Amino acid sequence: MQSSFDLQYIIELMPILIKYLGVTMEMALWGFLFALILSLSLALIRVFKVTFIQHLAALFISFFRGTPLLVQLFILYYGLPQFMPIFIGMDAFTAAIIGLSLHFSAYMAESIRAAILGIDKSQMEACLSIGMTRLQAMKRIILPQAARVATPSLMNYFIDMIKSTSLAFTLGVAEIMAKAQMEASSSFKFFESFLAVALVYWVVVLFFTRIQHLLEKRLNKAY
Amino acid sequence: MIKVTNLSKSFDDLAVLKEISFEVNKGEIVVIIGPSGTGKSTLLRCLNYLEAPTSGSVEIGEICVDAKKHNNKQITQLRKQSSFVFQNYSLFANKTAIENVAESLITVWKTTRNEAQETAKNILIKVGLEDKLNFYPSQLSGGQQQRVGIARAMAAKGEVILFDEPTSALDPEWVEEVLAVMKQLALEKQTMIVVTHEMQFAKEVADRVIFMEGGYIVEQGTPEQIFEHPQHKRTQAFVKRALKR
Repeated sequence: MQSSFDLQYIIELMPILIKYLGVTMEMALWGFLFALILSLSLALIRVFKVTFIQHLAALFISFFRGTPLLVQLFILYYGLPQFMPIFIGMDAFTAAIIGLSLHFSAYMAESIRAAILGIDKSQMEACLSIGMTRLQAMKRIILPQAARVATPSLMNYFIDMIKSTSLAFTLGVAEIMAKAQMEASSSFKFFESFLAVALVYWVVVLFFTRIQHLLEKRLNKAY
Repeated sequence: MIKVTNLSKSFDDLAVLKEISFEVNKGEIVVIIGPSGTGKSTLLRCLNYLEAPTSGSVEIGEICVDAKKHNNKQITQLRKQSSFVFQNYSLFANKTAIENVAESLITVWKTTRNEAQETAKNILIKVGLEDKLNFYPSQLSGGQQQRVGIARAMAAKGEVILFDEPTSALDPEWVEEVLAVMKQLALEKQTMIVVTHEMQFAKEVADRVIFMEGGYIVEQGTPEQIFEHPQHKRTQAFVKRALKR
């Protein structure tokens, strides 16, 4: 049976979905914060070629870039508790944040590393020549410049992460995708429900794209 | 004050420096000349371990570092004894002129920010950049950038300033202003080791000229000895060509 498009339904569904947007954004923001910390550490380990752990870092990055996010989430939430009891109490929301941050940190580490390597090596030498340590040089001279280079791609990963939070519904997190799914199954208006949720994501992404442009403009003005 | 003993450096199988030994006294201005690719810059970079020598030792002030056995702490100590002026300036792109100069005082010598700014400002006035204090490197000409580079080296409290071809990357119009700053430093008896192709500068300013070729020190002496009465054949050939330019 072919049903007619129900615009009214979409309009009514919007406020219901938006109520769950908070969960989505919470996952994205926490996930991004942890991913940022982790990726910076990974990038520094690789740039400084820290003995032995640099190989672990490379392995970590290879694994999390080489396997699908959905598979990683399943391993983390459904798989690990069977072997490691400490994961048994972990709720789906936490698992999703951990999974997202591990996954994205692998990608972000590579773009931070590339940004650091892109800064003229002679500035590091200049730091050393006046008696600074490599860590001081990194903190005060190299990273501030690398941050400017890396910002556009990191913002892209953030936007990508917002969209990827939709996978958390497969773990049972009650975010907007899960809500849309639920509404769709009860009303049978699948097209309208999923279109509605797509529109919400789209508007959020447009908002952050705008912020990205403003941020880049500001950073480029500095020097 | 500076004592280099049997310093050698190889890149893989290529020996760039071969058992170099020399000393520099406090207040002395030493200019190193020689054909391109003879290890002059490498020698300078070995003096503060931007390049780690393969063997031999470098002693500046109280600090002596042996290539065969050293640790990171010794190297940082050694680097504090000298400062470096780079061919391509290598200024910190994210810092203004005054911040570039103040950086070592704040980060390495733990001076308060105000004091460091005051010192940096005075040094920049000295090199004639009082009106460029808050300019970023990208807003300065080559000559101005190199003067900031020298000011940064002056601020770093080293015993000796190492100059690695400080005017080679400059447009001809900016060379003089940079040499003028270096001459002023020489008048103040700042210990300097200068690698350069500016023979006129060497003649006028140097207390001692070292001629290097093929990884060796071929000959050294006063500018008069080297430029007017070179003993060694290779020095004669080089000086003749160099002064003709």
